[in-house]
Amino acid sequence: MKAVCWMGKEKMQVHNVPDPTILNPRDAIVRITTTCICGSDLHLYDGFVPTLEQGDIMGHEFMGEVVEVGPGINRDKLKVGDRVVVPFTIACGNCQFCKDQLWSCCDNSNPNAWIAEKIMGYSPSGLFGYTHMLGGYAGGQAQYARVPFADVGPIKVPEGMPDEKVIFLSDIFPTGYMAAENCNIRSGDTIAIWGCGPVALFAIRSCFMLGAGRVIAIDRVPERLEMARTAGAETLNFEEVDVLEALKEMTGNKGPDACMDVVGMEATGHGIMFAVDRAKQMARIQMDRPVVLRQAIMACKKGGTLSIPGVYASFIDKVPMGAIMNKGLILKTGQTHMMRYMQPLLERIQSGEIDPSFVISHTLPIDAAPDAYRMFRDKQDKCIKVVLKPWEQQIAA
Amino acid sequence: MKQVSSQANQDAPTQSNSSQHSFGPKTLVFGATALIAYGLSRRSKAGTAVAAAGGGLLAYQAFSSSQPSKPSDTRTTFLVNSSPEQAYQLWRNLENLPRFMAHLKQVRLLDGRRSQWIASGPMDRNVQWTAEIIEDVPNQGISWRSLPGSDVDTSGVVSFRADPLGRGTYITAEMQYRLPGGALGAGVATIFGKHPEFVVREDLRRFKALLETGEVATTVGQAHGPRGVHGHTEQVLFRETSNQPEPLARTA
Repeated sequence: MKAVCWMGKEKMQVHNVPDPTILNPRDAIVRITTTCICGSDLHLYDGFVPTLEQGDIMGHEFMGEVVEVGPGINRDKLKVGDRVVVPFTIACGNCQFCKDQLWSCCDNSNPNAWIAEKIMGYSPSGLFGYTHMLGGYAGGQAQYARVPFADVGPIKVPEGMPDEKVIFLSDIFPTGYMAAENCNIRSGDTIAIWGCGPVALFAIRSCFMLGAGRVIAIDRVPERLEMARTAGAETLNFEEVDVLEALKEMTGNKGPDACMDVVGMEATGHGIMFAVDRAKQMARIQMDRPVVLRQAIMACKKGGTLSIPGVYASFIDKVPMGAIMNKGLILKTGQTHMMRYMQPLLERIQSGEIDPSFVISHTLPIDAAPDAYRMFRDKQDKCIKVVLKPWEQQIAA
Repeated sequence: MKQVSSQANQDAPTQSNSSQHSFGPKTLVFGATALIAYGLSRRSKAGTAVAAAGGGLLAYQAFSSSQPSKPSDTRTTFLVNSSPEQAYQLWRNLENLPRFMAHLKQVRLLDGRRSQWIASGPMDRNVQWTAEIIEDVPNQGISWRSLPGSDVDTSGVVSFRADPLGRGTYITAEMQYRLPGGALGAGVATIFGKHPEFVVREDLRRFKALLETGEVATTVGQAHGPRGVHGHTEQVLFRETSNQPEPLARTA
């Protein structure tokens, strides 16, 4: 089959590799009809997250048809022929964390848990197409994928719903929604969101679904700011204004009720702190550049909430802990507990409340993936979200 | 509960650092490995030089290390989502052990108390020994040791204790092995994931997974692109070649 492989920093290649096979009793094999490139794939593309291996198959947002199931699969939950969206987190459904609905903290799905324990104390769940610290599972930017514990995660899609409407249930819609839920929104609240990428665009809409009165979105890419305004947000371009001053002004010296960092470890900023962060990241002294996180902490109102869906990999320096402590901030974060959100959000799509396909800017054959990574990273050609079709040679514009 | 005691403590090792350095041999080997890993991950000539320097450090350690072999014992506890009965059943059928003890190939029962254990040793050679059950208290604990004259001097004890607050079963495993090769052997064992502390912890983690889900997560045998020298080295460093079970064969 064709698969997008990570061959080194900024080196993605499409290779012909063997088809996946059932390895464990609760595995299934999915023939992939649609898959995407995610912003968090860019952290891997840029080589900033440790523990990738040359030859790894990328991708954690995919859907398709079940073509084979292992002998241990609960046939009431999944069978051959089902059309499913696969969540990016892998969960066993049996451990105490799964039972407590903390699906992305599953205790049994990461075969390399010992590596994560060295860095985090305890290991979160395994993920598709990500680092080996988080399992090293082959991903979904391919024609087929092996899905472990397939009777827990994948959700069946009703007939007649096109891939484009449901594919984002695999990651970014639930991730944006959980980020909004983590803001502890009370009716009429003001939420500030750093970043206007695909997850943020879902987070803006989710904030309004949960009763927010105002959403202030911060970015510097014109088309992304435009999309944020379309979603109902007020926008700030951090190239043009001092974000902290502007937020103060807009909220009458009170600060937003909740601040959301949808940017994560590769944030862009200005000034001496940003320069130091970038130098340290280049030298591998600090894996993450917490520019946005610091600003969000400073901007947040007293007693407010910080919601952090942006990806961080390891340790960060110069975090204003004094501000967190003395202002009494609440910190909420985590990989998305996918299985909590997929069914309710599918219902919102079915009812017509939201059509997630608004976020797609490019649909390309899988052979175009290496160029698509570069285009997405450099935000060329107004790229917001790339959808890949693994079985098509040419896609009509 | 009837006492299920560890044979391991009878000649417990005393922790002493007889190295002439201010750091132990393990630290040095870890540092050298980190250099090699970092150097290789740079994928450049400078990186190769860094990796070579790491290799030099390892060689130096090999030359300067002549410590005798010390027995190593280790103890790990996991809280598992099951009853003591289920946990005891899975462990007491000793033929199940290779499903979660990654270094074991086969355990064959000889009679009620004795069993033949086959493990994969260095250079893919098999290491065998006969183990004898010393104590066996249903639903509470099992202890065993290798019979005198075996290739490997090893003993172990596992105990099962229901959490008084009803949150599952505490499983504690203690095992003792004597590692060949002295301090360097221990260092190399650490890198390749064969150090007893690591092995017992991972064995128990896999036992928990098997008990809770009926299988042990693995990526052995999954599809991938060309690994090249870098990819293969990374697989070894992440212990994916030594610390992940063969699929299905171990879970069938």
